[in-house]
Amino acid sequence: MANIISLDEFVTDEWYPGFKPEFGVQSSYVEPFQTFKKEDEERFWFLDFHWPRGLTPLGLIWNEDGYTWGTQYAAEQLPLPPGRGIACRVAGVHTYGSPIDVPSGYEIGERAARMGPNLGNFLVNFEDIWATRREEVERGWQHFVQMDPSSMSLPELATMLWEARTYHKRAFEIHFEVMYPLLVNFLGFSGQCAEWGIDSSQIGKMLQGWDTKIMETDRELGKLSTAARNAGLRDTFLATDASALSTTLDAQGGSGGAWMTQFRDFLSVYGYRTEGSCDVALKPWIEDPTPALGMIKSYMQNDSDHDFEHALANAVAEREEAIDIARSQLSKEEQEGFDAGLAMCQKANFPWWQDDHNFYIDLKVSLPLRWAALAIAEKSGADNPEDGLYLFWPELAKVAEGNQDFGKLKGLIKDRRDYFDHWASRRSSMPKVLGTIPEGGITDPVLIEIFGLNEHFLNAVKAAASGEEMRVLTGVPASKGKVRGIARVLSNADLLHTLNPGDILVCESTSPNWTPAFAKIAACVCDGGGMLSHAAIVGREYGVPTVTAVGMATVVISDGDEVEVDGDTGTVTVFKKG
Amino acid sequence: MRILWIESTMPGEAVRLSGSKMGRLAELVQTGSNVPRAFAVTVEAFRDQMTKTGLDALIDAEMASLDPEDSPAVEAAGDRIRGAIVTTPLLEAIEADIVESYEELSDRCSDLNVPTAVRSSATGEDGNDSSFAGIFDTFLGVAGADNVVDAVRGCWASLFSPRAVAYRAQRGISHHDMPMAVGVVELVQARASGVAFSIHPVTGKSDRIVIEANWGFGEAVVQGLVTPDNFEVGKADMRILRGTINDKTVVSAFDFAAGRVSETAMPERLRQRACLDEEQVAAVADAVLSIERHYGYPVDVEWVLDRHRQPGGPISIVQSRPITVVEAQKQSASYDPMALANKYLFAKGT
Repeated sequence: MANIISLDEFVTDEWYPGFKPEFGVQSSYVEPFQTFKKEDEERFWFLDFHWPRGLTPLGLIWNEDGYTWGTQYAAEQLPLPPGRGIACRVAGVHTYGSPIDVPSGYEIGERAARMGPNLGNFLVNFEDIWATRREEVERGWQHFVQMDPSSMSLPELATMLWEARTYHKRAFEIHFEVMYPLLVNFLGFSGQCAEWGIDSSQIGKMLQGWDTKIMETDRELGKLSTAARNAGLRDTFLATDASALSTTLDAQGGSGGAWMTQFRDFLSVYGYRTEGSCDVALKPWIEDPTPALGMIKSYMQNDSDHDFEHALANAVAEREEAIDIARSQLSKEEQEGFDAGLAMCQKANFPWWQDDHNFYIDLKVSLPLRWAALAIAEKSGADNPEDGLYLFWPELAKVAEGNQDFGKLKGLIKDRRDYFDHWASRRSSMPKVLGTIPEGGITDPVLIEIFGLNEHFLNAVKAAASGEEMRVLTGVPASKGKVRGIARVLSNADLLHTLNPGDILVCESTSPNWTPAFAKIAACVCDGGGMLSHAAIVGREYGVPTVTAVGMATVVISDGDEVEVDGDTGTVTVFKKG
Repeated sequence: MRILWIESTMPGEAVRLSGSKMGRLAELVQTGSNVPRAFAVTVEAFRDQMTKTGLDALIDAEMASLDPEDSPAVEAAGDRIRGAIVTTPLLEAIEADIVESYEELSDRCSDLNVPTAVRSSATGEDGNDSSFAGIFDTFLGVAGADNVVDAVRGCWASLFSPRAVAYRAQRGISHHDMPMAVGVVELVQARASGVAFSIHPVTGKSDRIVIEANWGFGEAVVQGLVTPDNFEVGKADMRILRGTINDKTVVSAFDFAAGRVSETAMPERLRQRACLDEEQVAAVADAVLSIERHYGYPVDVEWVLDRHRQPGGPISIVQSRPITVVEAQKQSASYDPMALANKYLFAKGT
């Protein structure tokens, strides 16, 4: 099976027109941002999902401050035992990330020993820590939001630009400093729950039902929709495209104008929010309120208002029910461990934070940089203020500091806009992964949970890389162990002599005359049976991973298919030859 | 002595005289479990039959020149040996003892020709070290003295089935070290039956009992012909932790025409129905727990729910043996996030 996906196509020092490799080494903790090199093929790279169109040159600052500084800083501080954060590369305008593994078992052990007490302290004090960090981010925000870049001189804008960069970088230190330990705790508890047989979808439910800043924003939008309905504006909303609503309502005057005043009050509080994550190229609602008006419009398409109170009460009821069901399936001893773990996960609540932090960080902290970049471009005689987004950081800083004539960059900016458009249009055909697909799993919790790079995903990309089709079957985990090999589907014990050592036996069920086969097979999969069927007993006796009661194994699996049998979870992954 | 009734067998002697399976059944009587009435045709009877009829000499001659790797030769020799065992008439004294004991068993069961399970009970079988799970024959539903006698010879012969010969060769065990006793056991009229483990047989968790159950007799469960209903019961509070009702497509039932238990399609109306209710699950759990407590080590048992059992009545235990699974670490009551992360998250890369 092909486990290496060539990245030859993307190996280059050339990037955006006028890019110089030193533009990419501004800030990093372990490994700086670079373009792809041939030796990168030995590592595993995945296409980042945050920027569906790609990043402009100034957008590269997220690759620096978020990936190569934020994740690496936080992973080293904790320290995360098996990894030192995330490295990144670009192909065109698209970002690829890769875990930076700690190769030494000794180091991993030492890092785990250091992390233990840090994790404990963090979890116990999470509420205080997050409150303090949130205040810090908010203080910074207040510093920038009161500035008026249009009235500032170029040197003042240069100062703002550097301050905004410092703020941006610090925000992502905080982001990953909080995210890593929260996620480690969440995934450890989830792993324990999975072993207890609790469905993973239930764990999210057990942690839901607490208010976040994002939910608060939605409620305010809901109130505006009620106000518009009460003001008799529903027909206007339904008849007007969201992008034309503010003009239409302003022009309408009367109740429409009054409602717009109310809406602008809302924007002054909640409007500093971009429609995507961490990208200076994105406009906030306060610049372009179309997304917010679109949400209000969609509330109004229903006959009655959305009942937020009721939805929250439902979420709470669902949470308590999920907890009761999970507890009822645990032994008394397990319940004690579960209660303690759940209490900790509810206190240091990753899913809650995952929503809440977006309001303070991801949807917001690139805005001061954006404003400074736009104002600098405008002050420097740009035809379009957004031209500032097509300069790399060192170029923009030089323009602001008066060391670079903006006019001389105009040709380059045009070429870069073309380059961006060309690569943005290639997005759908960009490989999801590049390089070498790892044999073991990926251990960086951010990559597992946020990017979904779990075992299932890795199996799927491996299968796709070799033109196979993958299917996962489940049954009763009857004998422990995990093994991968070639399937031999036997209908009858007569054919047992045709088995080769290391084959995976797939059959309807076994009886005692199949026993000798267990001395040479690597695993056994049966359509029927349970924990004490013959195959289960003999599988345990011989230490052969066995899954029984799979149901359709002999139908779905064909002779010669590659299969992975996991006797701990009862799953059988089938890789069908294309 | 050629016959031993299980209730009059000394526990220390039981396995040596009556083989593993019947020996442990005799021990089970001592635990206070509800064990069906039964006697064993002893190791001594087997030895007598083998030595005094010339069967031993015939077997030694066959085995002496046999290459265990030569499957066709092993099979042919096995066929000849088994043929000889089932056709050689029983020594008169043994046959008389078996017939007399079978009649006694019928009397004790208030029956004329009581249906029985005739079970192989080799020494070393189902032991702690090498499990011969299901290697030797069992005949279910055997009624009438002549049929019982034939079934006893059938059990003896299964000592030389190709799989048994191959299994011994793999493990380096001589057939002389594995003399075969045979149990003749009252066939409990099963409403439902199955197996039960006093700890989880796969994960080794000792905080729970695992029960697998099907309608009718237990063969379909033991042979893996059916996906049985599955129950887990917490030992600390005897609460049912989970119950999975499966689509049970096969049932082992008494075939009156053939006079034996055989496997047939499960009637549609029973397939998706739970074959134990809560009280019955608790009764099975109680039975297996008291056996574990008596022995002081984890066990698995085969159990039968008699069709005449009333709520509160006992569950029949027809087999028990030690479980070899490694006990899992006890669940920690405190929460250690770093330990969990190391176990479930960071261990994956290594």
